[in-house]
Amino acid sequence: MAAPLLSLKMSAAAVKGFYPHGAPCNLLPRRCFGVSGRMSAKSAHERPKPRERVEIPGLEMITYDKRMHYVPGLAKPVYKRWERDYKDPRFYVSPPVREMPLYKEKPCYIFNQRTSALEGVRQALWLTKSKLISGLPPQLLSLANGCTNQILDQHERVQNAIKHARFWDTTEERPGKKKYSNKLLYNLLHLCATLQSHHPGLGRRIFAEKYSLAATWSRGQDLFQIRGQNCILHNCMDPLPELSGNQEVADTENYVLETFYPVSPTIDLQKVQVYQEEMYSTGFAVDYVYPHPHTLYFLEGVDDDCKLQPEQFRAKMLMFTFGNALACAHKLYGTQSQQILDRPIIVQAVGTNGRIFQFLVFQLNTTKLAEDDGIKNQVWLEEDIQLYDFAKVRPLIKKKEIMVPAGLSGYKPETFNKFLAFYIHGAV
Amino acid sequence: MAARTRLPLLLSRNLPLYKHHKQAHTEASVKEPAYPPIVPSLTAKSKSARRRQAEEQIKKICASTVEEKLSLITRVQWMKFVVYPQTFARNADRWYQHFTKTAYIPGLPDKFSLDERGSEQTTVQTTVPGIGDEAFADIRSLVTNVILQERWYTKKRKTFLFRAQEQTFGPLLRNLVAGLTHSLAKYNPQLLLCSLDFDPQVHFYWRRGQRIIPKGHRKGRQEPTRFQIDDCPHSQIRIPQQLKQFTPLEDSYAAEVPEVTYAPNLLPLFRRQYDNNIFTGSKLPDPARYGHTQFHLVPDRYHRDRMERLKQSDQVEVFLRANGIASLFAWTGAQAMYQGFWDREDVTRPFVSQAVITDGKYFSFFCYQLNTVALSVEADSDNPRKNLIWGTESLKLYDGVEDGKVVGLNDGVLKLLVQFLLNQP
Repeated sequence: MAAPLLSLKMSAAAVKGFYPHGAPCNLLPRRCFGVSGRMSAKSAHERPKPRERVEIPGLEMITYDKRMHYVPGLAKPVYKRWERDYKDPRFYVSPPVREMPLYKEKPCYIFNQRTSALEGVRQALWLTKSKLISGLPPQLLSLANGCTNQILDQHERVQNAIKHARFWDTTEERPGKKKYSNKLLYNLLHLCATLQSHHPGLGRRIFAEKYSLAATWSRGQDLFQIRGQNCILHNCMDPLPELSGNQEVADTENYVLETFYPVSPTIDLQKVQVYQEEMYSTGFAVDYVYPHPHTLYFLEGVDDDCKLQPEQFRAKMLMFTFGNALACAHKLYGTQSQQILDRPIIVQAVGTNGRIFQFLVFQLNTTKLAEDDGIKNQVWLEEDIQLYDFAKVRPLIKKKEIMVPAGLSGYKPETFNKFLAFYIHGAV
Repeated sequence: MAARTRLPLLLSRNLPLYKHHKQAHTEASVKEPAYPPIVPSLTAKSKSARRRQAEEQIKKICASTVEEKLSLITRVQWMKFVVYPQTFARNADRWYQHFTKTAYIPGLPDKFSLDERGSEQTTVQTTVPGIGDEAFADIRSLVTNVILQERWYTKKRKTFLFRAQEQTFGPLLRNLVAGLTHSLAKYNPQLLLCSLDFDPQVHFYWRRGQRIIPKGHRKGRQEPTRFQIDDCPHSQIRIPQQLKQFTPLEDSYAAEVPEVTYAPNLLPLFRRQYDNNIFTGSKLPDPARYGHTQFHLVPDRYHRDRMERLKQSDQVEVFLRANGIASLFAWTGAQAMYQGFWDREDVTRPFVSQAVITDGKYFSFFCYQLNTVALSVEADSDNPRKNLIWGTESLKLYDGVEDGKVVGLNDGVLKLLVQFLLNQP
């Protein structure tokens, strides 16, 4: 019995002999001097927890406040937070959300220019209570067929405009996407505007940039707002003519809105509880000379901080077109929701990324959007039309065969005709 | 021993035989010996060889096409003075006149002189030649609406620091230029074919004057002074046909250009080395290759009010003039280069373009006639031609905006603007 005990004692003594300064700390083998703590995946050095402050009623805490330096054994003094008596925006701390004057219990869902709606156009259709009709309305189509050769040397000049944007605009070999898409849009608009001598109505319009839009509506139980600055807006003195007759508008009552059930319609919209309730603003003063929005021009990929997928881009186009129409309706017919507008409001939109164009026409028939039944709004959408196939500085060669020659190839005049039809619509 | 034996053997080769001699005399009397001219070596390490190389280079540039010409002229990078059209330098206009060999003529050319008299007495003259009273009233209302749109109707928050001009008057000028161009296209067929370009780039590179290198391994040699302008006007109108000259080329012989004898770095100008560019705002294949009118916006930094605050009111007009000279020279020079003219092949016809410089309220008008691009020391000796610039002092378009009305819209300035756009070849 004694022998095993002894041997245990011996072993303990032997261990002590090996490590003269006591047993090694078990952290020691993990130390790596070559790399920093973060790279060796070591947990950060643990700080001692701050000692718990104990307040004993009736006892005065003795601090080292008067001594003005740390004294062991005395408590750390607690000072009042210093409030500066002047205003410094750099150090502004906002009050808690619940204490803000604009705080509301009911949340508001805000759509802005950077919102990427998950369900895309379907979601936008549900939010705006509208019926999608693919293809352009017949009035615009006939207008597009009629403008095959309105501008002098139209074919050549449009191609020159494209070449200018894609090749000639810069001293570099090729301009960037952001630059050429912007340039192409302005070049095409300039080409369209030269028709003013034939159609004097085109002179009754003006472009506006960076206007701030605000419109509020409720859909179902939720409150929605559309806010933000984006796109170039073409304003007009005269409203656009209606695109669909009374019968067609009345027929939309039977249309059932498409749902996407498991996904909430408010997905990806910004949920805020601090907002102004009645926000209606077209971005311009009440006595504005050009009160009717005509066309919105959207550029894809201009904003570096937000890249939208084509589907989400179209949803944004639809939402902002609707927002402009709604703000205009509120201005014309008051903020009370109406079952059917006396005169529907039509706003067009053109989106481009420098090659592919999206055309959209929105007709606002009703501002009574809360319920799912009743009259619906109408949307005509023609998506992903190319203005040209390729604009290459160098030819694309595969297996020693030229697949795409250098220069502009595959120009499609129909697309420009549609663009022109959108531009001159209402002035012819 | 060997040499002695070789001599008779070579004799037959060295001395021609009698049968070859027979017709030699008769032939020589008929044909001149066609020797190549005696020229210095192309490869030796000598001054004459260097001169020869330069001549060969000039010949090569003259023989090549326009595109190659431009690339040959701008290919080699050297340290060059960067000339900023909108500059902080004091009294820059005289220096810029010297660099560009431009004579400044106050007032506008004869074409517009009638209108300027009109601007002084607005009540007397009401019609603009070329367009009717009704059309002018339309344009007047258009301009009023454009001004009011930015200054009154649009709800804007306070602009960012030193961005007020860009954010308020940039869109205003864009609408104004587009509106005027499109509504005047009826009267000026060139504007139907023009291309209107916002925020273009304009570059020009040229050599003028020389200096002796003071130190370094090239010490003591002569070096031409090089200049580069990188301009970005607010907008420009380019047309496919050239505008008419304002005066004949020979009229410029009498004009006087101020001579600045100091080195350019005393202006101050700074030297940098990067790509040399010559660019009108569009590459060579563009059919709209001639300039019509440029519009420039004065940035916040050089705004009239700020200059006044800094007690530099005397520099306001100087700044505008310097801007007009530099930008118009760069643009018109680049147009001439695109036609194949350069330092050694001087222009055969004058090139003309116009500019309007504005801070949104005050407008100054400039007309430029490029008579020569031969500006380097070698080409400039006894070259009597000078470039000409006409310019007005800044004129106020309107007094202000009150209660949704534009106060004091000056018809004279508006007419001048219309006249500028109606100018056609």
